[in-house]
Amino acid sequence: MERKSLLPYLLILPAFAYLLFFVGYPLLQALYLAFTQNGAFSLDTVRRTINDYYFWSAFKDTLAFAAVIIPIQLFLAIVFALLLNKAFKGKDLAIYALVIPLTISDVAGGLIWYSMLSPYGFVNKVLMNIGLISHPIYFFGYQFRSREFLAIVMAEVWRATSIVFIIILAGLQMISKEYIEAAEVFGASYWTRLRRIVFPMLKPSIQSALIIRTLFAMQIFGVVWILAGRDLPVLAGEGFYQLTVIKDYGVASIYALIIAGLSILFGAVYVKFLKAEYLEVMR
Amino acid sequence: MKKFWGLLLIGLMAFAVVASGCIGGGGTSSSSSSSSSSASSSSTTQEKVTLNFLSTQLNPPEERAFVKDQLLKGFTSETGIKVNFVPISYSDMVTRLEGEEKTGKVTIDVIGDLHGGMDYMASKGWLMDLSNMPKLQGRTFISTFEKYSVINGKKVYVPWMSATYVMVVNKEAFNYLPEGLTKEDVMKGTDKWTYDALLAWAKKLKEAKGQPELGFPAGPKGLFVRFLHGYLYPSFTGYQAKEFDSQDAIQMWNYLKNLWQYVNPSSTTWDAMSDPLLKGEVLIAWDHTARIKDAIETKPDQFVVVPVPRGPKGRGFIVVLAGLAIPKGAPHPDQAWKLIDYLTKPDTQIKVLQKVGFFPTVKEASGKLPEGPLKILAEGVTAQSSTPDALVAMIPNLGDKGGQFKQYYIEAFQRIVLNGEDPAKVTKEIKPKLVGLFQQVGIEVP
Repeated sequence: MERKSLLPYLLILPAFAYLLFFVGYPLLQALYLAFTQNGAFSLDTVRRTINDYYFWSAFKDTLAFAAVIIPIQLFLAIVFALLLNKAFKGKDLAIYALVIPLTISDVAGGLIWYSMLSPYGFVNKVLMNIGLISHPIYFFGYQFRSREFLAIVMAEVWRATSIVFIIILAGLQMISKEYIEAAEVFGASYWTRLRRIVFPMLKPSIQSALIIRTLFAMQIFGVVWILAGRDLPVLAGEGFYQLTVIKDYGVASIYALIIAGLSILFGAVYVKFLKAEYLEVMR
Repeated sequence: MKKFWGLLLIGLMAFAVVASGCIGGGGTSSSSSSSSSSASSSSTTQEKVTLNFLSTQLNPPEERAFVKDQLLKGFTSETGIKVNFVPISYSDMVTRLEGEEKTGKVTIDVIGDLHGGMDYMASKGWLMDLSNMPKLQGRTFISTFEKYSVINGKKVYVPWMSATYVMVVNKEAFNYLPEGLTKEDVMKGTDKWTYDALLAWAKKLKEAKGQPELGFPAGPKGLFVRFLHGYLYPSFTGYQAKEFDSQDAIQMWNYLKNLWQYVNPSSTTWDAMSDPLLKGEVLIAWDHTARIKDAIETKPDQFVVVPVPRGPKGRGFIVVLAGLAIPKGAPHPDQAWKLIDYLTKPDTQIKVLQKVGFFPTVKEASGKLPEGPLKILAEGVTAQSSTPDALVAMIPNLGDKGGQFKQYYIEAFQRIVLNGEDPAKVTKEIKPKLVGLFQQVGIEVP
């Protein structure tokens, strides 16, 4: 009897030990670095972070990127998924093509877009050759931060929409055909079916896609670092800069903790407001 | 089952062979190194001496290989003195030297390190006064370097190698020189080659070419911060940090704001200027010698290296200077001096420039360089170091506070020049923090 009650704990022990070692221990270490000085509790590091010239712009820019990029990605992913949820010739090829950018690292993706948009890159050369412009358009540089913002949004949408797409497509394929057919029998139009059946049943997939995408958005770094340097500071980039250039481990830890805190916060919000609905229990 | 045991046996045997190979190899190398160190301690005859040469410079693997396989082999075949070259980090070297000096058992013969480190070790009294050593024949050390190697009245090191940051000009830019400035002025670094002249030149270039033609490496890993604290500040205020918020400094920031209209806006994303120069994105650029070398080697006919302009207080520029010193109580000072003599010979210095890109500290060396890209670089560097109004700045030795030091200048630049904040307000706000860094480390504000 006793043995049986121990078994569940033994089964989760490896996972628990793994989390304790790879998440718990670094988290404690980060808290220690962030909130102590010479072994005693201190808010000095917090003060140093908040007074840093780049801190608030990093905070705002990270949220701004998430606010712009995620809705675009969600919209595009749903559109693509609906289009590709039908049987047609070349469907597999289309899915592969959409997923390819997912296999490219963010730094490589950033470099590809940098070489395309640089003053003497592909885009400017084409525009100059067809005579639309006489001098290259600058996409990069502190004076052109709004263009840098645009370039980063393009690169991120290109690179990371596919992860949302895959999750949504999987969700769509799990919706039972019976519901749709029943609705068709009662004469529901395409839009009504989407609104009343597909979207409600897609909510769990949208929820997990949003959680994953928001986690990544809070950590946005490689693409920004390549395309804009510190013209548009972001939280992960500042954490990296503090760690490698300034060597202020305390401030770097605070950046990491803020990223973790924001991710938990947004995750909780999604879980609360995107509760899965089951048609069976609805009125 | 039989098969399994057979495989296991084969595996074990293979492992044994590999393992014995490792152990054997390790054993021979350790025995050879111990025999060489015992030779150095037991024998006093010159032929069998082995010098311990600790260096914080030339540590990357290829440079290390060059030192061991070429540079020091030449010395050993000339003098019969063996050298044990030990690449080491600054902090490890200081710890080791401190221990040896305190116990009185010194095993280090020669130290190679940057000026900042030498300054620290000299202040601790760990370095030998070299003024009574025999004169090094056939070479003239560049006088600014010579001056720096004397610390508190003692000659503590011999200038060994140097590096610096210079301006590179695409020859095409000389077609657009502003009135009153000649190519000669720029190449030689005369009184007329001022920051105001640079502004006029950049302005004329932008008007003629339709886009800004001046560039700086102001990206996140670029070295633009050195231009701020080691070039502009000394040229306008006479100091790197002491006059951070003075009237002269405010004038300097206003100048830079003005100049920035003619600077290629992509500068804030560039980390090195070689590519923008080669791609023709800029015609005039400033950067570290190592980071523009590639452009000059690719198109030696297209570019010249010139001294930086001067400001109201002189021509401020940074010199990264490495020196050679002998610790107090070193076991073989006479042989160590021979090594220093060898390493500072013009021929040796040229070899170092060709292989690892550090510049000579003796004037005779640049004359012996063959025509080509390196000569263009070396001539520019020598022209800069020999300008009569030179205001040499050394990168302050702040240890792990060095990053924070840079950050304050970058913040000031970003707020004043890029965001248009009031220079008086920004510099007033940052100065106490900057001065605080020097107080924490305990060195004078430069």
